[in-house]
Amino acid sequence: MREKRTKRIPNKINRILEIPQEVSSNVPKITILGFEQMMIENYKAILEYQDFYIRLSTEIGILNINGFHLNLKEMTTDDLQISGKIDSIDFEAIEDDENNT
Amino acid sequence: MYFKILMAYLLGYVTIEVEGYYIERFMNICNNQKIFLWNIKRPKTAIMRVNISIQDFKKIKPIAKKTKCKIKIDNKKGVPFFFHRYQKRKIFFIFFLLVIIGTVTLSNFIWNIEITGTDKIDPQEIKQLLEENDFKLGKMKATINTKQVIDQIRLQRADIAWIGIEISGTNATVKIVEADLKPDIIPEEEYCNLIATKEGMITKISAQNGTPLIKEGEIVKKGSVLVGGWLEGKYTGTRYVHANGEVQAKVWYSEKIQIPFNQEKKELTGIEEKKYSVKINNFEINFAKKLPKFENYDTIESTKKLRLFSDFYLPIEVHEKVYQEYQKQPVSYSLEEAKKMGEEELSKRLEEQIENKEAILDKKVTQTHTEEYVEVEVIYEVLENIATKEKIVF
Repeated sequence: MREKRTKRIPNKINRILEIPQEVSSNVPKITILGFEQMMIENYKAILEYQDFYIRLSTEIGILNINGFHLNLKEMTTDDLQISGKIDSIDFEAIEDDENNT
Repeated sequence: MYFKILMAYLLGYVTIEVEGYYIERFMNICNNQKIFLWNIKRPKTAIMRVNISIQDFKKIKPIAKKTKCKIKIDNKKGVPFFFHRYQKRKIFFIFFLLVIIGTVTLSNFIWNIEITGTDKIDPQEIKQLLEENDFKLGKMKATINTKQVIDQIRLQRADIAWIGIEISGTNATVKIVEADLKPDIIPEEEYCNLIATKEGMITKISAQNGTPLIKEGEIVKKGSVLVGGWLEGKYTGTRYVHANGEVQAKVWYSEKIQIPFNQEKKELTGIEEKKYSVKINNFEINFAKKLPKFENYDTIESTKKLRLFSDFYLPIEVHEKVYQEYQKQPVSYSLEEAKKMGEEELSKRLEEQIENKEAILDKKVTQTHTEEYVEVEVIYEVLENIATKEKIVF
């Protein structure tokens, strides 16, 4: 309950100041360029990484990427660039956290 | 991000292979410690290939120990490794540096002088003039005062209207605009005669001032006085004046040529030999010592200046001599052919001499022939003004 309150006040300020959501909150931003490039901002950690499968954990859930020859072009604390043939993406939302956002 | 990779290249990076079962954990720990990884590939389930900068590579060992991964260096790239690799080749680097220093120092000199815009003036004369004024090949660019050189040359030569010296790279372009030489103008107050510039037959005299000394139809020689610069009056006596007027005369231009019936004509066989020699400043090196084997040959010489870029001339010249073989072949002409050839040749030569082609009155062709050759003479009759002024000297 305490966490909820502390998060709500800056939320309002951010809305007034029109700060983009991916900056103000930790919600991931996923950008896909064509079929072979992908950029994920605000991710938490890599859970699994294989040539054909990447599993990432984020604030709101888990992100699965299927494909072939998946390479991580760049990896920093905030963002991740993936290249390779992307086949499919699916999400596993965390039910409890949905109330928060 | 690209900036980071570029920096990594400058500071050096390594490609490593991480082998183990907790690769994801390894990556996450790297991420938390702000170690930048890029170009991550996973060729096999237990192997990951990754790029990492040198500084970060030192931090990686405890992480690998923690996650029980093995690390193998696959490839080293970047500037520090490059220098490390060439440390043993010091002589190579010394020479490399010498070459760079050499080109830089050579670029401070002038190695080519180009003279443009000359029509009547011989470029060699200009070159000599430039040399006299301390503007020659191999001179330092910084020591040349182009303004002074230009002023000096303009003082020395009256027939140059304008000079511009442009130095770009090691190439100096001297642009010249020639001035038309004007005849000496005698002022109105001075007394003068009209004299003949050419030999001819007088057809018309129109003297505005002065006493005509010749009649129409008279043949005059070059230099003879046509109109005297004085007037004689009954009461005034002889009075000197500034003679003025025009004297038209028929002038003959003639030219002779002998054309033998049997001539030898050159015919190129198409066989060539090329020989090269290199000239460094004034020192020439011949690559081929022998003369060509041909019996009869033409020699065509050409010189090329070596240059690095469009403007960077080096003090090295390459001389190319091309020897073209030809065969002599006897050709015989008939009388008519020879005559025609001679006439054409002479007409061409004469028409170059005549300024005003509209004034040509007549053309005469005469010929005499022997068994061996025909002699052709062409005479042009041209109407011209032959009078010029000459000062009277008492």
